[in-house]
Amino acid sequence: MSDRTRTGEMSHLPLHVFLVVYVIVTLYPLLWVFTIAFSGQQSLAIADVPADATFWDRARAIVPWPASISWANFKAVWTEQPFGRWLLNSAVVAGATTVLGVFLAATAGYAFSRFRFPGRRAGLMSFLVSQMFPGTLMLIPLYIIIVKWLGLGSTWIGLILVYATTSIPFCVWMLKGYFDTIPKELEESALMDGASVLTIFLKIILPLAKPAIAITALFSFMTGWNEFIQAATFIDKELMYTAPVGLRFFVGGFSQQWGFFAAGAIITAIPVVVLFLFLQKYLVSGLTAGAVKG
Amino acid sequence: MKTRRQVLVGLLLGLAVALGGARWLLDEARLAAAQAQQRRQAVITAQALAEAVQRAGGEGDAVRQVVVRLAQAEPSVRAARVVLLDGLRLEASTAAADAGEQAAPRRLTRDEKPLFDQVQRLRAAVDTNREDNAARKEEVEVARRPDGGLDLAAPVLADGSVVGAVLLETAAVPVQAPRVGWLPVLGLLAVAGGVLWGLSLLIGERRLALVLVGAVLVAGALVAFRGFGAGVLGADRERVEQVVATHLQQQAASVFSALEPSAAAAELDAAAWDVDAFRRPLGLAKADGTIEPHAVEAAVAAMVQRWSSFFWLLGSVGLLLLAYFGLGWAEKTWRTLVKHREGYLYVAPAMIAMLVLVFFPFFYGIALSFTGQTIYTTDKSIPEIWVGLSNFVEILGDFNVATRGPDGWTINYQNFYWTLGFTIVWTVSNVSFGVTVGLILALILNTQGLALRAIYRVIFILPWAIPNYITALIWKGMFHQQFGVVNQVIQMFGGEPVSWFEKPFTSFLAVLATNGWLSVPFMMVISLGALQSIPADLYEAARVDGAGRWKQFTSITLPSLKPALVPAVILSVVWTFNQFNIIYLVSGGEPAHSTEILITQAFKLAFEQYRYGYAAAYSVVIFLILFLYGTWQNRVTRATEGI
Repeated sequence: MSDRTRTGEMSHLPLHVFLVVYVIVTLYPLLWVFTIAFSGQQSLAIADVPADATFWDRARAIVPWPASISWANFKAVWTEQPFGRWLLNSAVVAGATTVLGVFLAATAGYAFSRFRFPGRRAGLMSFLVSQMFPGTLMLIPLYIIIVKWLGLGSTWIGLILVYATTSIPFCVWMLKGYFDTIPKELEESALMDGASVLTIFLKIILPLAKPAIAITALFSFMTGWNEFIQAATFIDKELMYTAPVGLRFFVGGFSQQWGFFAAGAIITAIPVVVLFLFLQKYLVSGLTAGAVKG
Repeated sequence: MKTRRQVLVGLLLGLAVALGGARWLLDEARLAAAQAQQRRQAVITAQALAEAVQRAGGEGDAVRQVVVRLAQAEPSVRAARVVLLDGLRLEASTAAADAGEQAAPRRLTRDEKPLFDQVQRLRAAVDTNREDNAARKEEVEVARRPDGGLDLAAPVLADGSVVGAVLLETAAVPVQAPRVGWLPVLGLLAVAGGVLWGLSLLIGERRLALVLVGAVLVAGALVAFRGFGAGVLGADRERVEQVVATHLQQQAASVFSALEPSAAAAELDAAAWDVDAFRRPLGLAKADGTIEPHAVEAAVAAMVQRWSSFFWLLGSVGLLLLAYFGLGWAEKTWRTLVKHREGYLYVAPAMIAMLVLVFFPFFYGIALSFTGQTIYTTDKSIPEIWVGLSNFVEILGDFNVATRGPDGWTINYQNFYWTLGFTIVWTVSNVSFGVTVGLILALILNTQGLALRAIYRVIFILPWAIPNYITALIWKGMFHQQFGVVNQVIQMFGGEPVSWFEKPFTSFLAVLATNGWLSVPFMMVISLGALQSIPADLYEAARVDGAGRWKQFTSITLPSLKPALVPAVILSVVWTFNQFNIIYLVSGGEPAHSTEILITQAFKLAFEQYRYGYAAAYSVVIFLILFLYGTWQNRVTRATEGI
């Protein structure tokens, strides 16, 4: 018995080698960002390479460890740069997008899953087709509607409305797929007991669909937190920038503030990465349920 | 009773929409007329000023004196400047900023280059138009400031050629037009409703006859409203001409007194100041206060024509509403809605949001694709800038992917087919990379009894968790030619540093590496999920039947992966095809747009070249490609079966 285990472990060694190589590939860019962020400088280079650099000088310049560790970049983005305000903008926009997006997707997904009504198939298909609308085709009309007609340029509400609607089709399809897997018998017995459709939706369906709801919420939040093009197009006041637009501001154009960018990127990415890892156990069930059904 | 009521409701609703729309358009037309009047008066002022400057000799103290006098005499002038091309001079100015040190005459400063450019443009326009003997380029430039005032530039001539220009800023006066009010609309509604009711007593409950009567009433009401609107516009115009004539008289008097007592004041022809953008006399009002009746009539007729050019649309909407309600379809719709009210109630919020912020913009974008909309024409309506299919012809009909020069072939990277080809290569290579690596990692991680599995899995998911614009900017930094770590590694082993974004192929490698890195986790997670859902006893049974590892893989693992992988690949193809952030932020299309994918190219056409209509057409083509792909995929996979 023990013999078999040992051969098993031995045969895992090449696998581990492969996995470790891929771990390095995965982690290197992230370590690089940390190195730049904690270097306290704005430079792209990890270390200065002399003109006639040796192998070891070059090796030093790729090892992701700063020459001296400093919190200066992190302090500067909070104090010298309006980065805190940008984060607040992103948080408000993404939070409201999540609430609105989940509400819209859950109600519609429930209707598509449980009710049969004329136009149901057309509605579902139209949501699917809308996923293929190229972003640039939508950008000009949306700019005219949001900024020119509704006067919501450089506001939270304008972005929230756009983000929440953008995330609807994917979330509706996913939630519908998940609702379909919930047995109808539960509802039917509740109906017998005299429960209303709203009660069934709130008390039975939503609690059972928690994994899918979590994915939907995550997706909506990420849409709001990570979106870059529309925010860059609709917002022209520096104070109203969202975090992505602000980060690009650090290293876009003639600006080369890589230190600020790296520190800001770490601060911006941490909430979504943590949230993502926290909710990822729902990822497989939610995505595959939605995907296979859809 | 029911039929009559339905037809009546249809008639009233249809009329309300049609007449309401016509009334709104009438208000818009009157506002446009008021703005045109403001422009016209401002042009007269500018032309009068230009003439006075010319008569005062074109330069020197005499000009400065005339400009100051005229600017004081006319309350609508906020600032007047005279710029001369010879010596780049600001010859005269009443602008508040041009006082003290900055007082005219002086040389133009570097910041004032736009003024000089504007005068150059006017000179070129006058010359072009004279050579071509046609009105091609605007000889008087008028721009509306956000505060409602106007900025004008009118040429100053000497011996027939442009030597400078008068730049005029008019005071910020909000342009207002009187509104029609709802009374005429309500009156027509009441009359039409009354007539239908009365006739229905004669006709009885015959639905079709009643609807036909309703249609006639809709048409009649629109004709009547057109007559009413024509009267309103005509009266407006009459008033405008009086005001303009008075303005002309005042200007003539001001110019005369400003030039006094020199002989230059003789024989002023003020009517010649009332011109269009090509300095062609309008011939409407005269300086002696009289009005040319025929010309005014023609102008009014043109205004009425323009105003009522949308009546066919309004009429159709009105008739549709009439038919919808009158023929009882509305009732049917209502019954369906009530019957399935719960379903519709739950769908409504999402559907309304989608209609307003997804489907409407989509169709608006399609409409734009048939126009020549640019940043300069955003105030024009779609019919005014309609160009038909020419955008599509320009995009799809251009096959000059490569041209043969003296030193071999050069590829035209801006060509649609190059970009399309690159996009396909980009999509295929990314998805294949993602699936291959993702599947390999998933298979390894699914190995029974593998140590540290959970940790590996969390680490491998990280690229997915990080916002992709951050990933893009990180990799852009790492591919930096001088300081990037990638080149440090190459140099470490004695290689030459690569300028990644100066050759199409290396640039492609850079974006591929970036996107490959971030697209592996999705495929890995999907594959892993599917692998874990395969029951272990399947393998057990296969082993009992003597199936080898490879046999197990092809007959159990792959078929079980398919239901999860196929939708994931479909999704991932669309995502990669539309992967804007990576291309835009990493390579930016460098070098020379060679690594542009369709969607970034469309974005640049819209927001760097400001060709909105052309970019919309480009986007429509992208949509059609994706749509065809989607339909094909659907047929292949039957993914939507049983919804």
